[in-house]
Parts: sequence; C-alpha cells; structure tokens
Amino acid sequence: MDLQLKHKKNKKKRQNIDKLQKDEVLNMEVEREKSKPTEKNKRKREKGNDINTGKAVRSNIKDGSINAIRGRKMKESSVKKNRKNEERNTLTGKSEQPSTDAEVAFVDQCGESKKTKRKKKEDDGSSKKGETDQDEVCHLSCGDESCSKGLKGSSKKARMKRKKEHNSSKGAKKSQEKAPEADSDDVYQISSGDEDCSKGMKKWIMEYNQSRPGLKVLEQNIDEFITAHEAKLEQERKEREAQAAEGGWTVVVHHKGRKKTTDVESGTTVGSVAKAVVEDNMKKKKREEVKLDFYRFQRREAQRNEILTLQSKFEEDKKRIQQLRAARKFRPY
Amino acid sequence: MDLKVRELLKEVTLDYSPTLSKHVNDTVSAIKVAIDKIPDDLKVTADEAPGFVRDIGADKVEFKFKKPTSIEIGGSYAIQCIVKPDINVDLFIRLPKECFHEKDYLNYRYHAKRCLYLSIIKKYLKFSSVKVEWSTLQNEARKPVLLVYPATELVGLPGFFVRIIPTTNSLFTIKKLNLKRSNIRALTHGGIPQATPKYNSSILEDMFLEDTSELIKRTFLGWKELGEASILLKVWARQRSSIYVHDCLNGFLISVILSYLASQNKIANSMRTMQIFRVTLNFIATAKIWNNGLYFRREGQKGIPQEERVSYKEAFPIVICDPSAPFNMSFRISRIGFVQLQDEAALTLKCIEKCRDGGFEEIFMTKVDFAAKYDYCIRLDLKGKSEVHASGFCLDDECWRLYEQKVHSLLNQGLNNRAKLIRVTWRNTLSDCSIENGFSILDREPLLVGVSVSSMENAFRVADIGPNAENKEEALKFRKFWGEKAELRRFKDGTIAESTVWESEHWNRHLILKRIAEYVLLRHLSLSKENIVHIVDQLDFSLLHGVRDPISFSGSLLEALEVLSKHLRLIQDIPLKVSSVQPLDPAFRFTSVFPPEPHPLAIVKGDVPRLQKLMPSCIQPLEVMIQLEGSGNWPMDDIAIEKTKTAFLLKIGESLQNSCGMTCTATEDDVDVFMSGYVFRLKIWHERGLSLLKREDGSDQFKWVSSIDKELFVRSQHSSMINGLQGRYPLYGPVVRIAKRWVASHLFSSCLVEEAVELLVAHLFLQPLPFNAPCSRITGFLRFLRLLSEYDWTFSALVVDINEDLSPKDEKEISNNFMLTRKGYEENKQNGSAAMFLATAYDKASEAWTRFSPNVSELKRLVAYARSSANLLNKLILQDQIDSYKWECLLRTPLNNYDAVILLHRDKLPYPQRLLFPSELNQGKHVAQGNASKVFQPFMSPGDFKGSLEELKNKLLVNFDPLRFFVGDLEKEFSNMFKVWYDSLGGDAIGITWDRFSSKKRGREEGEDPVDVLKSVGQFGKGFVRSVYSLKSPRLMN
Repeated sequence: MDLQLKHKKNKKKRQNIDKLQKDEVLNMEVEREKSKPTEKNKRKREKGNDINTGKAVRSNIKDGSINAIRGRKMKESSVKKNRKNEERNTLTGKSEQPSTDAEVAFVDQCGESKKTKRKKKEDDGSSKKGETDQDEVCHLSCGDESCSKGLKGSSKKARMKRKKEHNSSKGAKKSQEKAPEADSDDVYQISSGDEDCSKGMKKWIMEYNQSRPGLKVLEQNIDEFITAHEAKLEQERKEREAQAAEGGWTVVVHHKGRKKTTDVESGTTVGSVAKAVVEDNMKKKKREEVKLDFYRFQRREAQRNEILTLQSKFEEDKKRIQQLRAARKFRPY
Repeated sequence: MDLKVRELLKEVTLDYSPTLSKHVNDTVSAIKVAIDKIPDDLKVTADEAPGFVRDIGADKVEFKFKKPTSIEIGGSYAIQCIVKPDINVDLFIRLPKECFHEKDYLNYRYHAKRCLYLSIIKKYLKFSSVKVEWSTLQNEARKPVLLVYPATELVGLPGFFVRIIPTTNSLFTIKKLNLKRSNIRALTHGGIPQATPKYNSSILEDMFLEDTSELIKRTFLGWKELGEASILLKVWARQRSSIYVHDCLNGFLISVILSYLASQNKIANSMRTMQIFRVTLNFIATAKIWNNGLYFRREGQKGIPQEERVSYKEAFPIVICDPSAPFNMSFRISRIGFVQLQDEAALTLKCIEKCRDGGFEEIFMTKVDFAAKYDYCIRLDLKGKSEVHASGFCLDDECWRLYEQKVHSLLNQGLNNRAKLIRVTWRNTLSDCSIENGFSILDREPLLVGVSVSSMENAFRVADIGPNAENKEEALKFRKFWGEKAELRRFKDGTIAESTVWESEHWNRHLILKRIAEYVLLRHLSLSKENIVHIVDQLDFSLLHGVRDPISFSGSLLEALEVLSKHLRLIQDIPLKVSSVQPLDPAFRFTSVFPPEPHPLAIVKGDVPRLQKLMPSCIQPLEVMIQLEGSGNWPMDDIAIEKTKTAFLLKIGESLQNSCGMTCTATEDDVDVFMSGYVFRLKIWHERGLSLLKREDGSDQFKWVSSIDKELFVRSQHSSMINGLQGRYPLYGPVVRIAKRWVASHLFSSCLVEEAVELLVAHLFLQPLPFNAPCSRITGFLRFLRLLSEYDWTFSALVVDINEDLSPKDEKEISNNFMLTRKGYEENKQNGSAAMFLATAYDKASEAWTRFSPNVSELKRLVAYARSSANLLNKLILQDQIDSYKWECLLRTPLNNYDAVILLHRDKLPYPQRLLFPSELNQGKHVAQGNASKVFQPFMSPGDFKGSLEELKNKLLVNFDPLRFFVGDLEKEFSNMFKVWYDSLGGDAIGITWDRFSSKKRGREEGEDPVDVLKSVGQFGKGFVRSVYSLKSPRLMN
C-alpha cells in the first residue's frame, strides 16, 4: 500500500515537472485555477509536491550531476567544451535517465517531511506574487527540462537561460512554486521519449540505424533469401513433378540457358513471350472468322445499340448542360 | 460552342422588359424634373468648380444658365446592347447655344463651361435626393460626366445608374476646330502656336456625339445578330483589361467598328453571331486598311479628300472617320494600344482555331487581366508628384497621357528588344472624387506598366551593346541616356562599343529586367525607389537557402551524375553490365524546390573537412535509375525479382566502393552512393516486370497493378519528358518550384504529388492560350493558381501533350478512359477518388499521379485555396503597396482551417532552414505538449567531428525525415479517423481534419474521446511533437 502510494506520488510529481515546462498556457491557466476555490486542497498538495520537485531538482543539480554543473560553468569560457560534454551526455543519456528519475524520487521522499514548513512559505509566495513572471517561468522550465534529463541542453538559448536561472536561484525558487499552480490538468504531457523506443523520434532513429547493417550483412541476407526461395521453388516443382508423374503426364521443365523458341520435335513456337503473341493472333483470327454482322439479328441489334448509345449520349449531354448551368459556367465574371 | 454562346448571351444580356423600361423612364423623367427646377438665367461663375477651372487654365467662363435644348437616351441602351454587370443608360443632354460664345472653343473655355453646367445640374439633382457622382468620359478628366443613381433600385439590377453626357450640336464652326489649328494660346513652341489636334477632337466629339450615336442606332436597329456580336465583343474585351481602357477599345468604338464593317458589306445580314464576331476580330487583327484609316462612305455624300486623310494620319495613329462628322472617332487610341489590340485579336483567332470547343473558355471565360497577361508588372506610385503636371494639367493632351507616353518611351529605350510589348496605363478617375476641386487628386491610383518579354535569351542577356565608339553622335546620346552605367567595351569580334553590363548570378538573371527598368526610371524621372514597385522577385524568398538559391548547385549535380554514370557503365565485376543510367529525381530536371547542396562529408576521399558553421546531418538522396543488360535468368515472381535487384545493387555498390572509393550504404530496399557531395540512390529497372504486367492487364484493362517496375518506368518517362520541356522553356523550372512550394506550404503535400504539379505547370506552357507562354515566375505562378481554381475538373480531363505526339486515336482513348472514371464516380459518389484526371502520352488513363489523390473533397479544398491565393496575388500585383508581409501570406497557411493542429519542434526538422514561417497557435484547446528529443539534431555538432571520414559519413542520415515517419505512423494507426495535412518541404505544422464517416461509426459506438485520440497522436510523435491543439471536435451526428 505504502509503496503504491509512493509510486503514485512519484508519477504525479514527474508530471508536474513536465508541467513546469509550459510557457504560453501558463498565464491563462493561472487565471482559471484561481477561480476554482474548490480545488484548493488538491492544489495545495500539488504545490507541495512541486516544491519538492524543485528541491529535488536543485539537489539533483548539486549532487547528481556535478559534472554537468562544471560543464555549465565552463561554458562561460568555452562553448566547445560544453558541447563535448553534451555529446557525452547524449551518448549516455539513455542509461542516465532512469537513475535521475530515481534520484528525484528519493529526494521527493525526503522532502515529504518538510512539507508543512514549506507550505507556509509557498503560500506566502503565492499570495504575494499574484502574477507570475512569465519569463522566469520560462527560464525555469527550460532549466528544469535539462536538469531532469541529465542536463542535455539542446540549444544555445536554453543554456543561456539556464545560466540566468542559476544566478537568480531565489527568484526561480519562488516562481517554481508558482508554476504548478498555473498548470492545468487537461494539458497532457508527452515525454521526449528518449527513454523508450516504441514510438517517436527514438524509434525512427533506431529503425533507420537497424535498416543499415552494412553491405555484407545485407548481401548475406539476400543470399539466404534467394537460396531459401530457390529451395522452395525447387520443392514445389518436385512436388508438382511427383504429382504429374503419378498422373502419368510428362512435365515440361523450364531449362536454364538460352531460351528455345521452337520445339525441336514439332516445330511449333514455345516460350512465354511468343506464346502470348500466338494467343493474340489466334484471337484475331477467331474474330475474323465470325463477323459480327453475319446474322440479321446481329445487324439489327447493332443498330439498336447504336441508337441506344446515341440516346444515352444525348441524355448525358443534356445532363451535363444542366450541371454547367447550375455551376454558372457561362457567367464570364 | 453555339449552345455555350447562347447561354452566355442569356447570362449577360439585360431583359428589356416593361418594368425595366419603366424604371429607366422614371429615372430619366426624375432627372428632367430636377433640371426643370433650375431657374433660367441663373448666373454661373467659376466658383461652382474653382479647382477645375483653375487647373484647366480657362479664362472667361461666366454664363447664364439655360435649360438644355434636349434630353435624350442614347448609347448601348438605345441599341439594346448593354452587357452585365455594367448596367447604365447614357443620357445625352444638349447644351444650349446661348450659354456659349462664338469663340469659346479657345483655351478650354468650352470645357470649363461644360463642367460648370454639369455642376449646376449636380447641385439641383442633389436637392431631389438622388445619389450623384462625378465620372469622366473615357478617363479624360477634362470631360467629366455625371452618374446618377436612382433612389429606388430595381430588383436584379444592382448598381444601375444613368450617365449624363453633355453634348452640343453645331456650337462652333467646324473649320475653327480643324486639326491644324491651335486653339490653346498658351501652347506655343518658340513663339509659333502648336496645333492642338487632341483638344480639337475632344470638342468635336461632343459636337457629333449625337450624330454618331444616331448612325450606330440606324445600323443596329432590327439586326439581332449584330447586336449580339457587339455584346460578345464587349464581353471579350472586358475580360482583357489591357485593351478595354481609355487609349484602346471601348463599347462605343466596338459599335463604330461593327457599323463600319456593316456599311462596307463585310458583315452580311445572313451571318450568324459567331461569324460576325470572328469576321470582326479578323478585321481588327489583319486588315491593311487600318494603315490608311477607316472612312465611312455613304451614298450621296462626298468622301473625305485625300489631303485631309493625310493630315489625319499624321495626327493620329488610328483614324475612324465619318464624312458627316469630320473628326477622328478613335482619337484616343494610341499606337501601342492598337498594337496590343491587334495582338489580342490575333491570339483570340488562334484560340478559335486550336482550342477545344472553339475556344469558348479561353475567349469569353478566362480573365486576361494585367497581372496574368504581362510577364513583368511595374507599379509607379505617383501620388503627389508635381513633376507630372509641371507644365500644366491640360495642354493639347492631358498631362497624365503625356506622362504615360514618357514612361513608355523611356522603358522602350531602356529595354529595347528585351521586351516585345510595353504597355503603360494610368487610370485617373476615382468614383468618389469631386472634380470641382481640381485635378491634383487624380494621381492617387498607381500607374501600371506591363511588359511582355520577347524571348528569354533577350530578357536574360547580361550586356547591351550600344553604338560604336566612332559614331560620336550616337555614342553621346547613349551616354546621355544611360549615365554612368554606360561603359566603353571591347567585344569579342573586335568592335569597341558603348555598352551597358548587368552583371548577375545565373539564378538571378530574371532580375536584370527589373534593374534596368528601375535604373532608367530613377535616372530620368524624379522618383524615389519606394515609388517603383516591380513585381518580379517577391516570392523568391521561398526558394532561397540563406541568400543563395540552391538551384545554383545544379551544374555540379549534373556533372556528378555524369561521372557516376560513367563509373557505373565501366563496372566489370558484375554478371550483367549496366546499359543505361537515367535520372529520376526532380533535382535533375531543375524542378526540385530545394535541390540538394553538395555536402562536405559526402565526398569520395580526402581530409576530414573543417567544421562549418551549420553542417546538416541529413542528406537528401537523389534517385537514379539504371538498366541492366537483358538476360533470361531473371526469376519470375515479384519478390524474387526485387531481391535479385537488391543483390545486383549491392554488388554494384561494393564494386564502386572498391574501384573508386565511393562510400555505399544500403538497406533492404535502397542502395545509396556517396559522391561529390551528393548521395545517389540507385534503382534497377527491369523491363520484364513491365511485360509481365501487361499480360495481366490484357484480361482486365483497367486494373491497376502497383508494381515497382511500372512505377519506375512511368517516372523515367516523366522525367525525360519534363527534362525536354524544361530545355525548351527556361522559366518552367522556377514556376514549378514556386508552385510546389505553394502546394506544400498549404499542407497539400499528401494530396498533390510533385509530378502532378509539374504536369499542371507544363500545361501552362504547352497550351498557353489565350496568353503566350509565361515568361516570369509570378505570372506563371498566378496562371498556375488560376488553372487549378478555374479548370473544370469534374467534367474535363486535362491532357498534357508534352512532345505533341498524341494522335487523334490516343486522344479518343484518353477521353474514353476519362468517361469511364467519371461513370464510376457517378455511380459511387462517396468513393470519389481521382478527382483530377491528368493524361499524358505515357499515361493515358491518369493512373500515375492522381489516381489516389486528390479525391473530391481534397480537390475542393485545393481549389478554394488556389482561388483565394490567386485573388490575393492579383491584388498584390495591381494595388497594394510594398509590403512583404502580404506576399508572405500567399505561402502562410491559416491554421484555423483544421480541426486539430500538431506543432512540431522546429529544431528537430531535418532541414530547419526551409521552414518559411514558424507556426504558433493561440486558439483552440491545448491538448498536449511534448519535449524535444535529444537523439536527433539537424546539424552536426563539433563533438561529432572525431574520427575518420568514414566514421563521419556513417553519421550522415540519408533520407531521414521524421515528418515522413510520423505521418506514416499516423496514417497506419488512425487512417479511418482523420486526415493528415502536412508540408513535406519542411513546415512545422500538421493539420488534422476529422473524418466524418468514421466518427459516425466509431465515435458513437466506442465513444472515443477526440482529446484522447489527440493525446495518443502526440505519443506517436514523441520527441518531435511540440504541442497539439484541438480546434473542433469531430461532428458526431453527421
């Protein structure tokens, strides 16, 4: 039971982290949230969670990824190094992700005890700061995002902002408290998906890489396929032969090598293409043999058909004109 | 054709019913009553219209008002030839003699008094509470007329008005108004008074207006066909705004020309309407008699003597004269206007001959307006430029007409043979202006210049060679005209000549014309750059990568292809040799919106290149089709054939890798070769695949078997045909690129495939009538939009005959195929796929490109978008001021037209630089939002730059396009719930429209919440989707 609860909380908290990342929706939602006193209780709890989150994140920064912090500091002097850092993070990102989460969860638990204390503070903050500085929230969210993901900043901008946030950690803290309040329940959060590869970008990248195993492997695959395929064909043929042999029929075997166009014994043409031609010719001949107006009834029928088609065409034309008229196709402007 | 013409006539003619005539008579009598109220002998002074009198420069204008001697209905109402939608009745008011002096023909006194007389009438009409407005006769500001809108409007007769036109009868002696006389004292040249032919004609026109209108009436009365022909001609001319203007044709002149032809017995009583129409056009286009002038001849009257004819000819380019009314009725027609008219008439005759259905659509239904007709449009904003009327508003001619001539001659000299025709028109009249206050407000409308290009070579020429340096006089003139732009140059053939050089990159050549025009106008007219708007490059921004047009890399691309195909043919260590190599990708035929730029990593060998600023990590592959030698050993079934092909390709790739060091990567389906900065994707075409198919087709003719070979075959055919076309029309490529960009940026990528766009644009070039083939991007683009929006897709097939090799038999086959699809469509309306029938020589059943899309609803949407874009474009060309934002609107799609919108992370697009406008949405319900993934970056970071070239190459992602994957996933998962609209060229928004039919079944039974659906949609694009907005819920009930 306890565990379950914790788990739930954990989940919620994570959601909240994500929620922090909103910028535009935020302000709007602030208003809405405020007008809903009934949700106050719930909100409080959320708030609590969020401070914890904030704390978690911060402590995370401190102890979790010192490396990253160092990198961040160093970035001021050289961007290049930082990029390298990022690179490393990206490479190890997958493994790092769960651990970070665990850390966050851990800190969350710790924070639980300090909840009451913080709540007070936070209430202060919220009443004083009626209006959240949107910019700050923005910074925060960027920072948060990168923190929770093992500090893999994506753009320069984000990094810049993170720096800012760092400098004004106090302000950030306050606004962080504020941010979840602004959050709404109905904006669903999609994670970046870097940790699971069933959907999204990660999947596409993976599929791309998997589809290129190298020439040799592919060649091998194809060879295998061809041999299998040929074996299958061979087997089918054998079966057919066997069947034919049972029935007492001779089988014409498809020979390799140059195609023979004429049969040696009978002198008739064989082979796929020529056969088609012969068939075509046969059809033509047949048609010539029986002319369509041989019988009187045929002629009469043809005449009638002609009249019918003409009539239908006339009808069609009439319909067409009506349609054109309806579409005002005659109005030049 | 006959039927259509009859229907057209029904549409445009007015029903001359008793109610109508009663309405007209009422209005006229109301006007009469109002005029009757004006007291006689009212003293009229210049104060009634001080500005007018001042600007026209008249003296002695006082007179005492007398009632008009007669008020009569004339014009097209009298001969029942009114053409909708301009419904107006001309009312001739004969000015009384007593108001004028004998010598009032001098110094604009007549014009001033005429205007004052009208302003009195206007004043009194206003008392009787009808709406009265000023207008002018044929854009001639010195001859205003009054428009009277009746107080009550008749149903079905919107905007009806009566035009009050003052006339005079034998007010002055005709001799005094002879062409050679000078009647404006101020107009002298070195002390010698100048002849004032236009001024004199302007007065004479009023004097004989009633007579000529009587003459026309006599001819038209009781001749139905002639009247109908004149209506058709008016419709025809109205559609052509370049000839239906003040210095060319008008309704009155059409009637005059028709009466002339009738009087010459060129139109016989037995002729039918269309015959008369054709004869008239033929006469306009080809008759030699225009050089001498048209003179009516009547029995019992002397013709106009030869000397007089000569003097007419000298004074005016075109002469139409009636002996009883000795003045040139066509005195306003300018030479260039007439050339344009003849050109237009000749084109129309061609339409009648060549076009489907007698060219009905082309002649009467297609708008041949300024923007679509001319290749380059220049707009001069001359508001408040005093230079225009520096030497007075009205001399012999009006200052605006003189300015038109000036601009024309400047451009003519500047562009010389680059332009086939330059047309300058300046409409001065505004509906709500009050002419009493003078003419200075008449320059509010911009002056329009249209330039038709003679040929692309001329237009794109970099250097103009002027006179030889030894020819001092000419050289001096040249220098004077060009100023510092003129240089003395030595040319290849040894001549030294004055010249002007317009250096320009190859992809910027279309701007040369603009530069010249701008230079010349700025140099010779006191304009600033802001006053000149040249419509040529406003859409180029959509094709640029940074500051360069990527098309400039095409040269190196073709070279690379050349090298590759050489290598391919030389490969020895494969069982079958490569027999031919054919390009498939649009980049090879200059029609790709973004042909790839050479990537520094995709080279054969060499050092690891230095890290550039932004090195893309994705690279577009270019498909190349190869054909192998024939062999009998190919397997027979589809899968095995494909596998064998891949095996061959792998071998080829290996061989290339070993012999030339090109890198190859491969998947199950494709083999990519890296070379010279490009990636080529090889495909093998096996002709047997096609023949196998054909045999299957024999049984069921219209079965479409999708086969890789068939597809390859069609694509290669298409590619080579378009390539040929592109060679014939150098402008084809750019127009296609803009058109494709438009299609994509309005999220139609899934509806209209690139090849279909190519064919549509090809149609514009192959069957340009009633235009000539477009010679500029914007004109071509405008016509593309019009084609898309106006073509009758439901009832006609569009046949694109690229090499003109379709025989009548083929055409019959096409029309049969078309009828079949339409029949199927009629039977099953829901399943309305293939709404667009595009037939070509290689595809007579429209199966290749438009078989699956667009369907009826998609096409409807496409047409609506095209129509509004075309209208906007037209407006931008003709009116709006410089405003790049407006131009962007052409390519910025409104996101509120979708039921839901997915916004993507911009920096996760494979080619972020191709994004035109970042999309934002601040409406609708924000359903979900997501974070960007870290696993993919569109640009390489410096950290990647380690290791050898080979390793780096492996980091390049070939044809990696998350958008495509995402859309693919969505379509696989939700295909029966909604439709996805996207931009394959790199937009950051995806539109979703709910499927109506599915919502009926699904939405109700399963009760699936659209929000939940959208959330899971977001899940499918993890790391790529920025946010999802829901704008409209699916309509559950229908």
